[in-house]
Amino acid sequence: MTFDWSVVWEARSQFLAGVGMTVFLTVATMLFAIPGGLLLAFLRLLPIKPVQWLATMFVEFFRATPLVLQIYWAYYVLPILTDLRVSAVTTALVGLSCNVSAFNCETFRAGILSIRRGQVNAALALGMGPVQLMRTVVLPQAVMRVLPSLASTWVSLFKDTSLVSIIAVPELSYIALKVRSDTYRILEVLTAMAFLYWALGFPQAKLVDWIHRKFKVVE
Amino acid sequence: MLALAKVLEANWLFLLKALWVTLALSLMSMLIGLGLGVAVAVGRTYGGRLADLVLGFYVDTMRSIPILVIMVWGYFALPLLTGETLSPFLAAIVTLGVHMAAYVAETVRAGLTSVRGGQMRAALALGMSQFQAVRTIILPQALVRVLPPMGSLLVVAIKDSAVASVIAVPEFIRQTQVLVGNTYLSTQLYTFAMVVFFAISYPVARLTDLLYRRVAHLGAS
Repeated sequence: MTFDWSVVWEARSQFLAGVGMTVFLTVATMLFAIPGGLLLAFLRLLPIKPVQWLATMFVEFFRATPLVLQIYWAYYVLPILTDLRVSAVTTALVGLSCNVSAFNCETFRAGILSIRRGQVNAALALGMGPVQLMRTVVLPQAVMRVLPSLASTWVSLFKDTSLVSIIAVPELSYIALKVRSDTYRILEVLTAMAFLYWALGFPQAKLVDWIHRKFKVVE
Repeated sequence: MLALAKVLEANWLFLLKALWVTLALSLMSMLIGLGLGVAVAVGRTYGGRLADLVLGFYVDTMRSIPILVIMVWGYFALPLLTGETLSPFLAAIVTLGVHMAAYVAETVRAGLTSVRGGQMRAALALGMSQFQAVRTIILPQALVRVLPPMGSLLVVAIKDSAVASVIAVPEFIRQTQVLVGNTYLSTQLYTFAMVVFFAISYPVARLTDLLYRRVAHLGAS
């Protein structure tokens, strides 16, 4: 069979735009999901039962259902619930952010709970309030400890952005599938898509391994 | 709610079949992932530098390409190279399994290296071959120790099976879409699908934790 790689080169500006959208979705989602995860973690740690239950339900629900379904749900149900016409990119950001916030919540919670009780007691004995204690003693240590897990979540998120192609967000896989149906050069276009993801994702996976080695907690 | 009940009453067999496809996809891809993943983990740990390098490249590649991309490539592009057309179901199982194997391999490898080196040396001193030692002594302990993360991976397998809807495998989400197309009950049907998936995946993680508490002593040494 003959290959015609020129179709990939001719569509380079489209591919580049797709890569841009993929990177944008990854960065923007993480920017929402870090405060979101922290907030959920605090809510789960608050000594108020109904708040704990609500936050736990949110987290468990988003962790136990497929992202594909969450995206469809956001796409069809969000406009009805909020009565707003939102763009596909906004819908994707909302869906991804809720999903990643749930995972980040568990990461942060594990980090906060891993700081020994004695430190909290010592801070309280020194006259710190709960907010000051969290901000100056617990959180800085907790965040350093969970850095490897956050990095793993980052790579998962990078890969998961491909799923928002189902609601026609023009990121890398949506663009590639569109170029494929425009040109009928299936093998070349899909291989180029896989290669681009690999070229972006492989260094990230390696970086995550390095972070895991570098920031491993040794008690 | 009433409208949803009517649609479910008329289509329960249709959805039950779809649920069956989802479960088959998840379990069969997990089985492929387990078989291949354990082999890759053993190869990386005991197969020497070259095997570690090659298999490590496979694992890192799978970790860096989205499952959607692997599945779409396996279904649409691979047949052009091999000349063999795969059914969507088969393509989904194979690509999900090959993807899952990389994560299983990393998990099992952590388990293998957690078994102390003295056990391997003792086994070798008793006259066992390296293969025998891995098969009868190291691997059983390692597999028990990594049971909890394996449970999480099974949940991932169930969730990832949803991606197969993209290549039109008649699994639960695809068939929910079909019903939405027929009835326009998007909110109710997608919410229903969410609840169904939650009801399947959530207990899996809890059940593996329960199972682990029963067998944890078998992995201690």
